[in-house]
Amino acid sequence: MAAGKGANIAGAAIGVVFLLPVLWLGSSAFKPVSELGEFPPSLLPTPPTTANFSAAFGTNDFGSFLVNSLVVGVLSTVIVVCLGLPAAYGLSRTRMRGSGAILTGLLVISVFPVIATIPPLYVLLRTLGWLNSYQALILPYVAFNLPLGIWTMRNSLLPISQEMEEAAELDGAGTVRTILQIIVPQALPGIFVASVLTFVACWQEFLMALSFNSDATYQTAPVGIALFGGAFQLPYGTIFAASLVALVPIVILVLALRRWVVDGLSSGSVKG
Amino acid sequence: MRSRRRGTLLSAPALILVALVTLFPIAFSVYLSLSDVQAGVDGYEFSFTGTDNYATALQSSAVWRALRFTALYTVVSVTIEILLGLGIAVIIDRMTRGTGLVLAMLLIPWATITVVSAQLWSYIFNGVYGLANHVLVTLHIVSSPVTFLNSPSGAFLALLVADAWKTTPFVALILFGGVRAIDKELYSAARLDGAGEWRILTSITVPLIRQAMITAIVFRVLQAFGIFDLPFVLTNGGPGSATQSIAMLAYNALFQDLNIGYGAAISCVTTLVVVVLAVVFLRAFRAENVHG
Repeated sequence: MAAGKGANIAGAAIGVVFLLPVLWLGSSAFKPVSELGEFPPSLLPTPPTTANFSAAFGTNDFGSFLVNSLVVGVLSTVIVVCLGLPAAYGLSRTRMRGSGAILTGLLVISVFPVIATIPPLYVLLRTLGWLNSYQALILPYVAFNLPLGIWTMRNSLLPISQEMEEAAELDGAGTVRTILQIIVPQALPGIFVASVLTFVACWQEFLMALSFNSDATYQTAPVGIALFGGAFQLPYGTIFAASLVALVPIVILVLALRRWVVDGLSSGSVKG
Repeated sequence: MRSRRRGTLLSAPALILVALVTLFPIAFSVYLSLSDVQAGVDGYEFSFTGTDNYATALQSSAVWRALRFTALYTVVSVTIEILLGLGIAVIIDRMTRGTGLVLAMLLIPWATITVVSAQLWSYIFNGVYGLANHVLVTLHIVSSPVTFLNSPSGAFLALLVADAWKTTPFVALILFGGVRAIDKELYSAARLDGAGEWRILTSITVPLIRQAMITAIVFRVLQAFGIFDLPFVLTNGGPGSATQSIAMLAYNALFQDLNIGYGAAISCVTTLVVVVLAVVFLRAFRAENVHG
């Protein structure tokens, strides 16, 4: 088709345009503080310095924010898969009553604005003495990501043939063994999509993290990056150094699982 | 029978957790919004005040201003992102080489933490040394740097650019799923009949990706209406309260004014709007499926 070459060039240009701001972030992270406030700005740091990284990880202890993000993100993702997969199985493979209504309800819950649950969860968490803890974030992160996770995994279970399951059952395998040995291997793409979407969502989440954990000991990376403050001017160098490091794991994860992420998003994740 | 019980057993843990952490708190929030809530050392005292908090909210000009900003922001940002996303999806679909690479490049803004994006764009739109000003001055569009974030329209523009950068790829990927499923024979046939590119886009592509369009629009509208992170960090709601979203207003009522009942009332209003929009969209979606 004649459009091919033009489309290749246009597509590459679009990709570059969307990548430029991140490259600017990367370049700025290595600039000395004085150079960050220059106008016109220099394209590349001269000379490149790691001073911003020392400031972020030394005095500002950004490492502990990253560890908190990692703990909360990994645990939430694992729990979403462990609870969501059996639910997806129950909702798609058994003649469970009301599964259609439940699936619609989950879809509605998945688009609830986070702010809706901030006042009540804050009051409940404070009453339980759970403010400033990992569970203050893991609990709502799991609950908010389960609906889409269940949908994604359910959609990946639908096309799997029932025959192998029935054969396993005839051989006397229990439900748990059937799920682990027959379903999990075939549902891996759906599990990947659900995991990566959940982890990305947890890694980015800001409003709950800001509201429930005011103690820096339990704050996550987005809160750290938002609250780095100077008395008069934002310490952009420190912010960008911390941001760049916080982006690395998520970018590696997303690019490594690119195929599944693209499939997950481009199948609409949710349309049944 | 056995299968039915097994389904319930397997689904119960997840469904109970979701209900406990989303539905139950929202019901509790309605109760909070009808109360005056006083925080004690280790608990709360609630006194029922009826619809007082709602009356205060509906008479507050700050609430109406935030609702107006949020609604305008939702309509403008989603419109821009759907149009750009559609264009990008069509272009990617026609690529013969490097599709995977471009998709990977688009995934990076999508995966970027919103707070990081907000800080980055606040630096780019800085009124003294920002890159945006450098570009505008170099292109002779302005003669000296513009203080974007000090004017309501400049701040609105900064939010739109930051939002479009992060979210257009998400929209483009959803629409790409629809576009790539279209039988390319249809395009060739239309071209043989003398249809131009615009005609093909409006008469073939868009109608055939209606489902993906609806998915993208529903998700984006509901997400945009709850917007918090971007204005909180990029403009801090300013200048003044020009870019204060409804979620920010609720957050400030809760954590600055420590008025839990009032904050709950504002967040309940937000939830109500989102749920009404969701139901309207789902209905439209169903109708489309029945007729389409």
